[in-house]
Amino acid sequence: MKDKEILRIENLSKSFGELKVLKDVSFEVRKGDVIAILGPSGAGKTTLLRCINRLVDPDSGQILFGGNPVKSDRKSIRHFRSKVGFVFQRFNLVSHLRVVDNVALPLVKVRGENWRKAREIAAKQLGQVGLSDKITNYPSQLSGGQQQRVGIARALVMEPAIVLLDEPTSALDPSLVGEVMRVIKRLSAEGRTMIIVTHEVGFARNIASRVLFMKDGLLINDTIPEDFFESEDSEITDFLTDLSAIV
Amino acid sequence: MTRAISRTILGFVVAGFFWFSYQSVSQVYPFNWKVIPRYYKLFLEGLVTTMELSVIALGFAVLIGVLVALARTSKSVLLKDAGTLYVWFFRNMPLLVVILLVYYGFGSTVNIDRFWAGVLSLSLFEGAYVGEIFRAGIEAVPSGEIEAGEAMGLYRRQIMFSIVFPQAFRISIPPLIGQLVSLVKDSSLVSVIALGDITMRARQVGTQTLAVFEAYLILAGCYLLITSTLSLLGRFLERRMVIP
Repeated sequence: MKDKEILRIENLSKSFGELKVLKDVSFEVRKGDVIAILGPSGAGKTTLLRCINRLVDPDSGQILFGGNPVKSDRKSIRHFRSKVGFVFQRFNLVSHLRVVDNVALPLVKVRGENWRKAREIAAKQLGQVGLSDKITNYPSQLSGGQQQRVGIARALVMEPAIVLLDEPTSALDPSLVGEVMRVIKRLSAEGRTMIIVTHEVGFARNIASRVLFMKDGLLINDTIPEDFFESEDSEITDFLTDLSAIV
Repeated sequence: MTRAISRTILGFVVAGFFWFSYQSVSQVYPFNWKVIPRYYKLFLEGLVTTMELSVIALGFAVLIGVLVALARTSKSVLLKDAGTLYVWFFRNMPLLVVILLVYYGFGSTVNIDRFWAGVLSLSLFEGAYVGEIFRAGIEAVPSGEIEAGEAMGLYRRQIMFSIVFPQAFRISIPPLIGQLVSLVKDSSLVSVIALGDITMRARQVGTQTLAVFEAYLILAGCYLLITSTLSLLGRFLERRMVIP
């Protein structure tokens, strides 16, 4: 029996001016899925992720969460966002708040927890990403890898049903990619549902349960990693050749 | 150490320059400092008035500034235009003209106290500048942090109060202190409506005692003292509020 469906994306389209960035994209996410979205830059990967949690409003199509369409009023969007963790490429930590308060913020402002309780929960969450000794620091006092781990803790603290990660290691110094990837790997081992836009082919091959391949706003391929990396589709082989040429 | 030496040298040079100038002027202008202390009460009164005027006007200017900045950064086109119009008017109008308009223009239709006419003019005028300072502060908050707030599920209002305003305020402190110093200096213009600020008092002392130069030297010293104190205070505040 298949696992429970968490998220269903139906016919999502988005244009920025003349440019069609997403063309009729549909797929579903089941509990425990670790989905890697691959594709050349400009394929619409990030826009797709941002449309899912409504940082960008799609032009058409809809998103079903637990079988119900997400409505557009601000209460519904707020509720939905509190169930969807988002990890940004550039961390986007709130710079005047200490690390622990960054993680506690959604608990206080969305769940209505008091600061004391929220800080306790946040500190525990930060311990799980190995940052117990940094909780009173400010974001600017942390390395990029540490900041991104705070970003992940912040996304997890609300116990989301699904976590969206937008190129979580692209802005990092290569020597710092490992510490962040290890945390993400652990999340997948814990059975968390995730969608990750990434250029880490190794992650897609070894950790992901599904690979979505996008190009020019189209979802071209949705398959398991084994099939993806064996694919003879020229668009996929070209992409993989280009990628390995860089490395 | 070299800095201490260079400062000492500079100090001597400047002191020497002023001493020399003073001696030269003394040849043609008989300085008479003895009459000044008799009028210290008048100076003090003026000083208090200038400070009161500045503090109250600053309060209102900050209030107006907040409203202007909110209007100019709001999504409503009407509010945005209204804010822009306000800033356009007061930034293109000499303060002296604003004071004359308020006291002699507006004041000829309703009875308005000199002091409050001064407060009103200064507040309206400086409010436009403070508004621009706050607006720049709000716009300097990284958009990624606002997005992070949205992604967490925060409402617009919560994003403004938890993420934008605290940072915008910190960013605004240095230029705000600068504006406060300007406000104190600008307040000297209210002397044209015979509001008894320190500039007007100095002029009074000068005309009564004929020790004009002396009175104005004292006046200059008073302004330097107030504004430098404010700058120091500002630097202290800035250092305390800085985000590491």
